[in-house]
Amino acid sequence: MFDSGILLQIIFWGLYAGCIYILLATGLNLIFGVMKIVNFAHGEFLMIGAYVTATIFLLTGINPYVIILLSMLVVMGIGAIVERLCFRPILGTSKLNEIFLSIGLIYIFQNGAAMLWGDKWQSVKSPYQGISLPLGSLSIPLDYIIIMGVTAAILCGLYFFLKRTKTGREMRATSQNRKGAMLVGINVERLDILSFGIGCGLAAAAGTLWVVSGQVFNPYMGSIPAVKAFAIIILGGLGSIPGAIIGGLLYGIAENGAVYFLGGVWKDAISFIILIIVLVIRPTGLFGESGE
Amino acid sequence: MKYAILFIIILLTATFFTGCTQQQTTVAPGVIKVGVIASLTGPASNVGTSMWQSASVAADEINAKGGVYVKSLNKNLTIQLVQGDDESTQQGGQTAATKLITNDKVDILVGGYSSAVTSAYEQTIAEFKVPYIVTGASSPIITHRTDIDTSYVFHHCPTTDSYGQYTTTFIDQVIRPSINKKFNFPADRPLRLALVYQDTAFGKGVQAAVNNTISTNNLKIQLVSQQSFKMGESDFRTSMTAIKAAKPDAVYLAAFPNEGAPLITQARRDIGLNTIFLSVENNDNAQFYKDVGQYGEGSIIESRFSPYVAPTGAVAIAQSAFKQDYYTKWNSYPDALGASTYEGVYIGAQAITTADSLSKADIRQALVGLRMPQLIEPMKNMTISFSPEFRESSFDLWMEQLSFNSTLGETRPSIVWPDNLKTTDFFLPDWYSPGSA
Repeated sequence: MFDSGILLQIIFWGLYAGCIYILLATGLNLIFGVMKIVNFAHGEFLMIGAYVTATIFLLTGINPYVIILLSMLVVMGIGAIVERLCFRPILGTSKLNEIFLSIGLIYIFQNGAAMLWGDKWQSVKSPYQGISLPLGSLSIPLDYIIIMGVTAAILCGLYFFLKRTKTGREMRATSQNRKGAMLVGINVERLDILSFGIGCGLAAAAGTLWVVSGQVFNPYMGSIPAVKAFAIIILGGLGSIPGAIIGGLLYGIAENGAVYFLGGVWKDAISFIILIIVLVIRPTGLFGESGE
Repeated sequence: MKYAILFIIILLTATFFTGCTQQQTTVAPGVIKVGVIASLTGPASNVGTSMWQSASVAADEINAKGGVYVKSLNKNLTIQLVQGDDESTQQGGQTAATKLITNDKVDILVGGYSSAVTSAYEQTIAEFKVPYIVTGASSPIITHRTDIDTSYVFHHCPTTDSYGQYTTTFIDQVIRPSINKKFNFPADRPLRLALVYQDTAFGKGVQAAVNNTISTNNLKIQLVSQQSFKMGESDFRTSMTAIKAAKPDAVYLAAFPNEGAPLITQARRDIGLNTIFLSVENNDNAQFYKDVGQYGEGSIIESRFSPYVAPTGAVAIAQSAFKQDYYTKWNSYPDALGASTYEGVYIGAQAITTADSLSKADIRQALVGLRMPQLIEPMKNMTISFSPEFRESSFDLWMEQLSFNSTLGETRPSIVWPDNLKTTDFFLPDWYSPGSA
C-alpha cells in the first residue's frame, strides 16, 4: 500500500523544483511576450546569478536570501547590456539569427564564467542548514520553506508591477500588440531593455535559490534548466505568465513523481512526454491563445 | 637550358642533404612525448585537473633525475607532457585523442577518466596502435570489449568489478555484524542494502559487481532498492525519499564526487536518512570532503590513495613525498586518480627503457612483460604488472571511515579495513538508525 507521507514528500520536492522552473520560465516568457525573441542563453543568466550570490556570500557572509536582490540587480544590468548590444540589432530579422546569437552567447558566458570563477563544481552552505520545521507528518528543512516563500513574493511583486504600474501596463500592451503600442506612443525600445533585464533578473533569482538549496553549480549548469524552461512556456502557452507558473509546478511534480515511480533516468524525459501530450490535445498550450 | 640543369642539380643535392638531416633527427629524438588525456574542463574537471597535475609532478621528477635512459640511443631523453582535454564529453575525448596522436605525435598516452568518454575514443587508439595506460576510467569494458582491438590499452586503476567486490565483502564482514550486535539482531540477519548508481558503464559496472558478489558468495545481503540517476544530476531528494521508504541498513553510491557529496548531504539533511553511505574511490577527493561537510560523518569510502590518510608501511613514505611535492607545486592535494596517473607516467618511462626504443609496438611489448616495484599505491605482491588476458594491474584496496573534525569543519578519513592496513576500528555513529523489513 502506498504511503501518503511519501506522496506528500514527492509533491513537496516537486514544488521546490517547480519554484526554480517558475522563475526561469516566467522570465523567459516575459522576454518572449514583449520582444518575441528566442533566447536559448537564458539558463546562463541563472548560472551567473548563482555565481554572483555565491561570490558575495563567500566574501561578505551576508545572508544569501538578502543577496538575492543584489544578484538580481547585477544580472538585470548584464541582461540590459546584452539586449542593447546583441538582440536589438537583430530584432525583427530571421529567427535563425536569434537562435545562433543566443547559442553564441551560451559559449561566451560559459567560458567567461569558467575563466572568472573556474569550472570546478562548487557549493555553499545556507545559514539555515540543519534547521527543520514540522509540517504535518513531515519535517521540512527551513530553507525550502523560505525558497517557496521568496518565489511567491517575487511572483506577487511581478504581478503588482505588471497590473498596477504604468510601465507594467505598457509592457502588457506591447506584449499584446507591439505595433499598436508604438502607435499610441509607447517607447517599446525602453520596454524591450526593461523586460529583458527583468527576465534575466528572475533567472538570477532562480540561480540564487539553486545555490542556497545546497545544489552544486558550475559554469555549465544552465543549459538543461533553460531547455526545460522553454518546454514549460510552450506547455503553459507562449507569453502567458500564469501558464509558466502552472507549467513550472506541473513539471516539478511530474519530474519528481517520475524519479520515484520510474527511476531517475526518466526525470528529464517525462517533461517532454507531458509536453507532447498537451500539444497534441491543445496545440496552443494550456493557457495560450490561438494566433498568439 | 644550362641554368635549368644547374637548378635541378642544386635542388636534387639540397633534397638529398635535407633527407639525410631529417633521417638523423628521427633516429635521435631528444624528448619522449607523453599525451595526458584528462577532463580539464567540464563537470569532471576537478578530478581531471588532479590527473594532469600529478602527471606533471612525475615528469618533473623523472626529468630532474636526468630523464629516461634509452640504451640503443645511448642517451637520456626528457619527458614532455602534452595536454589533451576531453572536456568531460565523448566528442571532446575523441578530439583530444586524435589531436595528440596525429598532430602532436605522442609516443605514449596516459589518463582517461569517465569510462563512457574513454571507450568513445578507443577506436582511434586501436587504429593508430598507440600504447595507452588508462589511469582513471574504471569500467572493465575498457580492456574487455571485443568489438575493437584493445591490445594497446593497459588498465592501471581498479575496475568496478574489483571495488564493487571489495565493498560488498566489507559490508558483509564488518558492517552487518556491527549492526546485528549493536541492535541485538540475530547474527544471521541479512543486511538491507540500497544501491544508487550513475546510469553509465561505470555505475552499471558497480551494480553488476555488487549483484554478482552477493550471489556468487551467497552473502547475507538483501538488495532492497536499486535507483539509477543521470550523470551530472544534482537533485537527489526524491531518489533518497524512495531509498528511505525501502528502509535500508546502508546505502552504496556509485557516483562521481560532484554527485556523491550533494547526494549524501540531501539524504541526511533534507530527508533524514540517518544511515551509512558507502562511496567509490573517486570520491576520496579534497573537494568532496569540503562539500559533504558534517554530513559525511560515519560514511565509508573505498580507496587506494587518499589526500588525508595513508596505510602504514613503505607506501606511506612514498605517498607522503608525492603529496608534499604535489602541494609544493600546485598548493592543493592530489586524489586517487591523480596517484594512478602519476604512476602511469613512471610506468610509461619504465616501458620505454625496457623496450630500448620509441617504437610503439616495442613499448606495448614491454608493457605486456612489465614487472616493476610498487610506487605510491599498494599493489598485489607489491609489484606493478598487467594481467595476461585483459592487461589490468591489481591493487590492494582499503576502506576508510569519515569522522567530523569540528576545528576544520570537514570530515577526515581513517582506514578501517582490511586488518593488515587499518589504523582504527569501524564504528556505528550514535545517530545511526538501522533499516527494517
